[in-house]
This record gives sequence, structure tokens and C-alpha cells, in this order.
Amino acid sequence: MTFIISLAVSIVFGAGAYLVLQRNLIRVVIGVILISNAANLFIVAAGIMRGRPPIYPLPEGQVVSDPLVQAMALTAIVIGSSVAALLLALSYRLYTSHSTIDIEDISRAEAEDAEALDRGEPIRRRRRGGGA
Amino acid sequence: MILISLAIGVTWVFGTVLAMLDGRRTYVGLLALGAMGTSLVSGVLLGVRVLQEGTVEFVAGGWPLGLGIALRADVLGVTFAVLSCGVVFVSLLYEVILGIRSRTFPALVLFLNTGLVGIFLTGDMFNFYVFFEIAMTAAYVLTAYREHDYQVRAAFIFAIVNLLGSVIFVIAVAALYHVTGTLDMALAAERVTEAGINPTIVIAVAIFVAFGLKLGLFPFHFWLPAVYVGSHASVAAILSGALANIGSYGLLRFGGYILPEQLAFGAPVLLVLGSASIVYGAHQAVARRSPVEVMAYSAIGQAGYILIAIAIAGPIGFAAGVLYAVVNSLNKTLVFLATGLRGWMVGAAFAIAAFSIAGVPPAVGFLGKLALFRAALSLDSLAGTVTLVALIFLGGALSFVYSFQIYQSVYLKPSPEEGKPSPLAARLLVVVLAALLVGLGLYPEPLLYVSERAGALVAGGP
Repeated sequence: MTFIISLAVSIVFGAGAYLVLQRNLIRVVIGVILISNAANLFIVAAGIMRGRPPIYPLPEGQVVSDPLVQAMALTAIVIGSSVAALLLALSYRLYTSHSTIDIEDISRAEAEDAEALDRGEPIRRRRRGGGA
Repeated sequence: MILISLAIGVTWVFGTVLAMLDGRRTYVGLLALGAMGTSLVSGVLLGVRVLQEGTVEFVAGGWPLGLGIALRADVLGVTFAVLSCGVVFVSLLYEVILGIRSRTFPALVLFLNTGLVGIFLTGDMFNFYVFFEIAMTAAYVLTAYREHDYQVRAAFIFAIVNLLGSVIFVIAVAALYHVTGTLDMALAAERVTEAGINPTIVIAVAIFVAFGLKLGLFPFHFWLPAVYVGSHASVAAILSGALANIGSYGLLRFGGYILPEQLAFGAPVLLVLGSASIVYGAHQAVARRSPVEVMAYSAIGQAGYILIAIAIAGPIGFAAGVLYAVVNSLNKTLVFLATGLRGWMVGAAFAIAAFSIAGVPPAVGFLGKLALFRAALSLDSLAGTVTLVALIFLGGALSFVYSFQIYQSVYLKPSPEEGKPSPLAARLLVVVLAALLVGLGLYPEPLLYVSERAGALVAGGP
């Protein structure tokens, strides 16, 4: 059981790491989501054992599986999903100002801004999106 | 007990309410300042009580000890809580004076404070992670404050890199739970010695990577300059003055208090990485021209000093680490706030901060360097002591060079008319902060006393 779970954790984590290294912003975000879910799997694996589900009232004299890791994983899932929403909002904000989700194009724009700043010119304002 | 709840809870409740109001209005900013002030005052009162009566502890929700989540205020935690709370308060005051430009700014700052104070006052590892995420998520959004394109890019980089750090941290917490069977920090510190060095060294490495990333140490520094340069002055002050404290506190708490054997085992590596950080940061800072960029690279170097103090370990090393973290956070807050202003007196304040970073005597930075020297002298091996002392001298000399370089290029040369000076109140705030830096340098007893108590606490952990 431990072997299967560690295999699953490593595959999910590896897939996430691969996606984080991509150029497309959405893939980067999906990669981060996958990695945080690999961590959730790991949390559950940290207290894994065979037993009855820990639902009250507890059965007498029987082994109950560890409820704490499940509570932790649940908390981590909530945090992960809210952060994923934030990341998607940031990518959308980048898309509205650069009209692209390719990280190379965005960093090229950044380099242009830096050069403009070095020459003492004001930074060119792109189309502003979203709220103020 | 009520003080702990107040320090954490007030800003959380106010943050929730203010999130629904328009933060650009003055009264919202003032309400946020009031909440921050309450949090700061309860933190200070709590600190006085902890210093007099020892650790204050209670279990949230009335659960028996060992079952519920313990909130624990000891000397180390309270020091960092008051420090971070103060930095956030000053930065918010600064932004209120200059005029807040975003609906959400006051609420986000309050949430950030909730997370920070919670991190420092919790006694539970998973609870630490939850508060950590609250503070970090608020910080991601704050980095994009003012919403220039480069600020949103900085926020995206910041979020992605630091999320990877938090994932590594939560994996380490789960692994510690697996090894010790508890999430309580004090209990885990007792039980982890039984597990032996073999499984726990991997956990220690994961924790080091997570907090090294937060602190911006040498191999994990790559995100830091882009973010500090991109963000607005008050946000940069919060990031480097308050948020970076998580890194130093985490290394002290998890490295020094929970995993001391593993820390001693890895000390040579930490010393090398700390030295690399100092040399790299100072070297890069000398080569830059804009004040913010210089100070961003300088932050990498300063983090190296903290790491070296922690690697030396023992009561003296940990005390030096705490002292240096406090001093560094004050320096960085003043420096970043001053770079956002122009006009009379700002140059003087910037100069005091810059020379404090270099460790020139009347300013408080000298204390930090002195404590480090003392820690380096307490090492057993002569070669190690000589190398460290030489390194601290070299780092100090380089920081003197870059501090003076930017002071000269920005404040001494007659600049073409750059628009009107900043509001007097903001400049006065910066000057008061500079006076505090010099005052703490002239009357160092309280700071030394607190850092020694905190160092003893970390080293006295089982």
C-alpha cells in the first residue's frame, strides 16, 4: 500500500514539476495545482493504516484509521483551491495586459520595460484590464 | 490568553469587515490602523507578560492539552510577533499618509498581520502552515498593489516560487507527524530524538529548503530581486521587514528547537551556503545602481549572516541569529520606506539605514555584527573562527561600499528638479524610524536581553 501511494505521489509530483517548467502560464498554474495535490496525497499517506472509518460513534474494540491526516488533507485542499483561483486571476490579469499567456513574450516585454527605465523613459502603459 | 486571541483575532475580524468597504477612503485606512494598533499593543503587553512570567499557553476551543491546537507565546515567538506587527503597522501608516490607491489594500494588510502573528504564536506545526498560507496569500496579492504590469508579473513569480516552498514545507510537516505521531512542536521536539538521524535528516533538509526560499538565501534567491524591485515601497518594506521574518523564525524554531541534532549535522553545509550568500549578495549589490535593486541584493547577503549565526548554534549563536534578524528587519523597513520618498530629511534617514546595514557604530546594525563576532569566536575550531571573522569583515566592507555608493549617487549629487517633495508626515515617520535605529544602538540593553532569552530558549529545547 505504501509503495503504491509513494508511486502515485511521485508520478503526480513529477507531472506537476514538468508542467511548471512550461512556457504557457495556464500549464504552469496546473502544474502548481498538481504539485499541491501530490502534497495532499503525501499527507494522507503519512498516517495511513487499515481500519474503520473514523465516524462517531466509534465501534468498540476495532481499529479506527487516523482521522487527523484526513482533517489536515481537507484543510490543505481548501488552501490549494483558493490559491489556484488566485493564480488563475493573476494569469488572466497578465493576459489582459499582454494579450498572450506565453511566458517568453511576457519576459520580453519586461526586458523592454527595464531598458526603457535605464534610458530614463517612462514605462509604456499597456492596455489596463480588470478593476483599478 | 485574551492577549493572544486579541493579537491574532482583531486584525482578522477587521480585515473581514474592511474587505467589503472601499479602502481608498480615509476612514477605512484609519479603522485598519486602529486594528493594527490594537494588535500591536496586545503583542507588546503579551511580550511584557512573557518576559516576567514565562511562556503563556492555552489550547484553542477548550480541548484537553495534547488533543487541541495549542497557542503558545514564548520569548522567541513574541519577539518576532511584536517586530513584524510593528513593521506592518509602520508600513500601513506610511501608505495611509501617502494615500491608499486600492480598494483591498487595508484588508489585505490586516490579513497578512493575522497570518504573521499567528505563525509566531502557534504551538502546532500544521496550524503554523495554515497561518503561513494566510500570510503568504495576502502577500501575493499585495505584491501586485498599484497594478502596474511589472508588479503583476512580480506577483506571479512570487506566488509560483513560494507556493513550491510551502508545498515542500507541508510535506515536511506530514513527515514529522509520521515520525513523531504529534503535531505539537514541544512534543515533537521531545520525540524526534528517538527516531534517530537517518529518517529525520531528509525532513530537516526539506524544512531548510522551504525557509531558505522564504528568506532568499543564496541558491534559492532567484525570485527575490525581481519581486522587491517590482513592488511598491511600503509593500517592499512589508515583504523584507515582516514576511522575511518567517524564514528566520522558521529556521530557529524548526532547526534550532525541534531538530537540533540535524542542525548540528548539517552545520558545515549551512556555513558554506551562508558564506556564499554573503559574498554573492554583497558582490551583486556593489554592481547595481538603483537603490531598490542594491537593497534587494543586500537582503540576500544579510540573510546569509542570519544563517551563519544559526549554524553556529548554542545559546550564543541563536541569540546572535535573533538579534541579527530583528536588526535586519528594522534596517530593511527603513531603507525601503525611504526609497519611496523624496525631499528634505529623507536622505539623512536613508543614510542612517544604509550605514546601519554596513554596521557602522552608533546605529543598531553594529550590534548585529558584534553579536555575530561573539558567536564566531565561540566556535571550537580556530580555522573556522578565523574564516568567519574574515568573512564578516569582508561582507561589512562591501556593504559599506555599496551603501555609500548609492547614498552618493542618489542623495549627494544635485538632481534636476524631480517634482514636489513627499508629505511632511511621511518624512517625519521615516525620521522617527531612523531615530529608533540610532536609539536602539545607543541603548542596546533591552534588545540584547530579549535576544539572549530567546537564544537560551531555542538552545534549551530538548
